[in-house]
Amino acid sequence: MSDSHRGVVVTGLGVLTAFGRGVAPLAEGLRQGQSALAPLTAFAPQGLEIGMAAQVGVPLAIPEGFQDDRKAALALQAAEDAVGGADMSQAGVYLGTGLSSVTPLELYQDAAPYRSKGGFDRQALHRDLSPDHVAPGRHLPERTTALLARSIGANGPQMTSFSACAAGALAIAHATRAIRRGEIDRALAGGMDAMIHPLGVLSFLVLGALSPGTCRPFDRNREGFVIGEGAAMLLLESEELARARGAHILARVLGGGSSVDAHNVTAPHPEGKGAELSMRRAMKEAGLVRVDHVNAHGTGTPLGDRAEAAAIARVLGPEVPVSSIKGAIGHCIAAAGAVEAAACIAALAQGWSPGTAGLEDPEDLGINAQAEPQQDHPQTILSNSFGFGGQNTSLIFGRA
Amino acid sequence: MSHVVSVAAIGLLCPAGVGEEGATGGRPGEVPGFRARAYVVNRKNLKLMSRAVKLGVSGIRLALAQVEDWEQVPPERRGMFVGSTPLGGEVGDLSPALHVSSDDKGKVDLQAFATQGYPLIHPLWLVKGLSNNVLGFASAAHNFQGVNGNYCDGAASGANALREGWAAVSEGRADLVVAGAADSLVGLEALIPGHKAGEGSAFFVLRPVENAAPGSVVLRRGEGHLEAEESTLGYLGAAGEVVSLARAAMRGDLPAGLAQHGLYLSLA
Repeated sequence: MSDSHRGVVVTGLGVLTAFGRGVAPLAEGLRQGQSALAPLTAFAPQGLEIGMAAQVGVPLAIPEGFQDDRKAALALQAAEDAVGGADMSQAGVYLGTGLSSVTPLELYQDAAPYRSKGGFDRQALHRDLSPDHVAPGRHLPERTTALLARSIGANGPQMTSFSACAAGALAIAHATRAIRRGEIDRALAGGMDAMIHPLGVLSFLVLGALSPGTCRPFDRNREGFVIGEGAAMLLLESEELARARGAHILARVLGGGSSVDAHNVTAPHPEGKGAELSMRRAMKEAGLVRVDHVNAHGTGTPLGDRAEAAAIARVLGPEVPVSSIKGAIGHCIAAAGAVEAAACIAALAQGWSPGTAGLEDPEDLGINAQAEPQQDHPQTILSNSFGFGGQNTSLIFGRA
Repeated sequence: MSHVVSVAAIGLLCPAGVGEEGATGGRPGEVPGFRARAYVVNRKNLKLMSRAVKLGVSGIRLALAQVEDWEQVPPERRGMFVGSTPLGGEVGDLSPALHVSSDDKGKVDLQAFATQGYPLIHPLWLVKGLSNNVLGFASAAHNFQGVNGNYCDGAASGANALREGWAAVSEGRADLVVAGAADSLVGLEALIPGHKAGEGSAFFVLRPVENAAPGSVVLRRGEGHLEAEESTLGYLGAAGEVVSLARAAMRGDLPAGLAQHGLYLSLA
């Protein structure tokens, strides 16, 4: 049944980012060293200390029954773009997702009837709850996984990874293992998120994680991240199957590792011990002692970048080129790991490595932070994704 | 790679009771006499936990307490896989902010929301609503640094967690795994028409079968069946299937399985 060394390859990509729809605009933007961060227009940020965001500007087809759910629209578009003409009837669907995209207005509609003297009448809410009234459906992430499965005709296993900002990467890791162990031959895997709405922005503002200006990973003047949104879905399949059907192989999934900080639900371990373990596991699984490039989680927060840099230096040394694309496409939260995986795959396929938009005055963190993209023909790229709750995931992709 | 993994312990909290008591009888509703303070060491964290998270953290502690040597496993070889509910946040926590920023016709003034409502939102509101809080708090409490996952797949969440935990041990990626689920639907009966609501938490401690004593309960790959217990325990949401499996194991009703996930319990 099982062959844990079964090769897994990427044969399809669907991506939506602030650069646009598809991997081509994302790759071109990154290869040119551009940034898609722009003034926030999704809502008027009156009174909020936020000016920039990385919004997906292309029109989205809203799936029936998902009228309030921008995330689902992003994911569905990415899924359809990734699958192409592949037979998905036996495939699995592995989706990384995040907090609900409920807006203050929707919350008001849910909560307003139950306001009581400035408080909240919980008993009255519970008494009146019904599927048609307070709308719990829009909070349930697994319904989007099911939507994707229906839309592509996938009858295999479904899994919804709800692991904060590591969710998309972890979904890819889970799908890869399911293919390696022979449970399935093909999977759609990735992540989605859309938190550019007042409540989403407020949630990160109150934590002090958002930059009032731009995002500057590894820079002395970094102040936090700029919120982004997007989705990316990868079509993964066994190498044997892909070659047999003559599919164009974009990249190989060489390894994946995960760990938990076991430290704090919001702050990273100060020495990056969880990040280190995650990367070491991925390296071991890939059978590598070095990689050609690291796509860092690199959110641009003072603590996070320092901890990750220390971990990268311990695992891979001070010379390996390191970049973060969050200065270009923002932090796509639960989608980040999948969107950045797509960027890594495009870079491998086209022979370049990304730079770090916003990095102007690098802090000496003991790593080789790369500000500009390079035509350096990398053969392997390691991509990190770390999330609240202390969950860490590292993926390694190799040139096809 | 062994496809057989030993079940070293089960931490069970369900409407029928706690521990072995939970495997007997049954009734919908709350876990009787549940007090999270009895299980959560860092009491400051309690205010950041929903009831489902409290149940989950408690189930994990209850399970580990039955395994004398679990701390001898290196932290990086301890894995954790959790099935959870996405309904971690409390809408009511936002009510004061909504109250000061909306009029009686339901229109939200975003400027008022930002300037007057913003200071009324707890700084850790987002954190309180994270679905992976069982994993976050429990991994920190017990120093679990290894492989992990958190799944929100409705009633299949716990089964997915158990399956991934089984895979992690059987593939040699962990020497000890805690896998299971928790949920609390008490008070949300109207959302689950046709069922009575319950709550529950069940976590299995899984280890390589080489460490299992003869006659131990093991988790195998294969086809199995699952005895639905909703009629006795109420609908348990994310925790349902894994609670049913835990009860079957504790009663000795073997084999019982997770048919769609290809796992079942038997004796070594």
